[in-house]
Formats: sequence, C-alpha cells, structure tokens
Amino acid sequence: MRRGKALNRLTDDAGPDEVRLEFPALSEYFRLARLTAAGLGSRLGFTVDQVEDLKLAIDELCFGLTGPDLRSGTLTVRYRLGRDLIEVSGESSFDDDQSTPAQSELSRIILDALVDEHEFHRESPSSRFWILKRRVPG
Amino acid sequence: MTVDPVARDALHAKFVAFAESRDPALRDQLVEAHIGLAKYLARRFANRGEPVDDLVQVASMALVKAVDRFDPDRGFGFATYATHTIVGELKRHFRDKGWAVRAPRRMQELYLRLTKVIDSLSQTLGHPPTIADLAAATDSSEEAVLEAMEAGQAYRFTSLDAPIGGGDTQTFAANTGDVDPGMADAERRAVLAPLLARLTPRDQRIVNLRFFKEMTQGEIAAELGISQMHVSRLLAKSLAQLRNAGDDT
Repeated sequence: MRRGKALNRLTDDAGPDEVRLEFPALSEYFRLARLTAAGLGSRLGFTVDQVEDLKLAIDELCFGLTGPDLRSGTLTVRYRLGRDLIEVSGESSFDDDQSTPAQSELSRIILDALVDEHEFHRESPSSRFWILKRRVPG
Repeated sequence: MTVDPVARDALHAKFVAFAESRDPALRDQLVEAHIGLAKYLARRFANRGEPVDDLVQVASMALVKAVDRFDPDRGFGFATYATHTIVGELKRHFRDKGWAVRAPRRMQELYLRLTKVIDSLSQTLGHPPTIADLAAATDSSEEAVLEAMEAGQAYRFTSLDAPIGGGDTQTFAANTGDVDPGMADAERRAVLAPLLARLTPRDQRIVNLRFFKEMTQGEIAAELGISQMHVSRLLAKSLAQLRNAGDDT
C-alpha cells in the first residue's frame, strides 16, 4: 500500500475544482462530509461499493481528527476531483491545547482496505489527514 | 460557521456575568442571541411527523435550559454545549411520543428497494452498479439514492444492549467474547484481538474479510448470502463499536 508523501498535496491527475466544508467538530456533522464525498464519488462514476468505502474512510478520519473527547473547534474538509480519482484532505482546529490521540493500528488497517493512499499527521492541538481513492473499472 | 473572535469574547463575558448575577434580562439576551441555533436544530428534525412549530418550541425551551446550566469556565463553547442539550431534548421529545427518530418513510422505502436492486443489478451487470445505475433503476435522483444509502447506515455507536438486527433477537452484549479462529493468523491481529473480540462472530468475520482479506462488500455479500447493503450497514456498525471500544481502553 503506497502512501502519499505530503498532506494536502495535489496529485498530477487532480483537477482544479475544489469543494470545501467547514463544520463544528461534532460527530453529528460528519454526515455532511460523508454525503459530500458520496456525491462527488458518484459524479466520478464510483460503484456503490466504492462510495460506501469512501464514506467509511471519511468517518474514520473525522473521528481520528476529533478524538474521543468532546472539544470545541472546527473541522475543515477539502475535496478535489481528478479524472478518475478523488482526494480528500481534512484539518482540525480546536480552541483548547489538548493533543489528539495518535492514529490507531486498527484505523490504519481499515484505511489500507478502504482507500488507495492515506496519511494522518497529529500536530498538537490539531491534526490533518489526506486520502486518495481511485475509481476502479467495474 | 466560524465566529468573530470579538463577538465570541463579548458573548463569553456575558455568560460570565450571568453566571454570577443570574440576571433575567441578561438571560433573555443570551437566549435571543442563540435562538437561530435552536430553530436550525429544530428544522433538522422536521418531516418526522411533528409540526415544526412544536419542535422549535421544544428546542427553545432546551436553549433556555442550556443558558441556565452553561458553565463558561468549562472550556467548551456555548454553541457546542447548547447543541448537545437541544438535540438531546428533541430526541427525548420523539421518544416520549413513542416515535423513533428516524429517516423519513420515503427514504426507508427507497433504502429497502435499493437493497434488492443493488444485488440484482450486480448479477445483471457483472459488477457493482454505480449510483447513476441505481438512480435509473429506481426512478430516483442520484441525490435521493445517496440520501437513502446514508439513512440506512448505522454510523452512530450502537448500544451493547441493542438488538443485533436482521431479525436477530439476541443482543450485542450476549454475543461478545469469542474471537473468530480465522482472525488469529497475523501478529497485528493478535494485538487487535481484544478489540475485535467485542464483536459478534459474524461481525468479526465480515471485518476480517473486508479489512484483512480485502474482499469487496459485494464479494462478502455473495459469500455470506446477504445483501451488499446489509454488509455495508454491519461494517459501519462494527467500526463504530470498535472505535468506541478503543476509546474505552
């Protein structure tokens, strides 16, 4: 499983269009991030399996950014589309200076199966992620 | 959804003053400043059989309660605290009425149709259908298909005592404790075994097939003789349970 070299990078295949969401760092808002990813994946012609995988990956990463504790802050998620791929990057911004837990081994395994490439960087008090998923011909 | 820092500081100062004085006029100002949040959250629960005006009333009363109880020294923003209080009251309102907070009926119906259509189209096409395929097959918009897929999932944490689903009458708690023997052949799986042991044997198997064997949801569905949407729902539920279990350790 190859992983990206830097967060928030733009792959050579990605186009200039970008969709950006900013929302409170609360799990009830993750639905917005999932649905946006699903809509963009659908636009790329992803199959239902790939759309569901993308949504699971978004959920995993949003929870990774917020951690288990209720904290006041925001998540910013950016989506960029290529001809046959979608890049999603996310960043948390909190009002406190707690550090976010490190990415778990289970989370890494899950993301290995769900997307083509992924990165997660923990930076106190915020964290960042980046994922890339390519369309697989049916 | 960001807040001007100056306005936020002014608001915080008002909460601090109210915490000390309990001045009713100050309370009215704080409620008024956040009434938009209450209305916004109330509208999120619309289309579930309750008049919106009633929901706004419930949300507004919850907002007053949140203003009264908010401790500005705790470190959370008021909007975060109030959102939890208001959503909790709205859910309680539905529960007291005997109605589950759930997706609109038309979404449930579309989800059930999709469950069958995905499997039949997968066989016909020889590969999983796209969202556009599903929209065409169900005479729906792609947005409606995506909404129905979302509505059918179980992304939130499921209680240990919740029914397993799919017609099962046993609970999650009654099915935990044993690790599927197929999970024990890798070192990292051994590390994860205590977490995975919290899942039912069936859910462990599905997690194993998807994340360790890297089979697709469609392949797992075919192997287990259940629908792809059911696999998707069980995976989302398992991840939520594992995440929650991980937070407890």
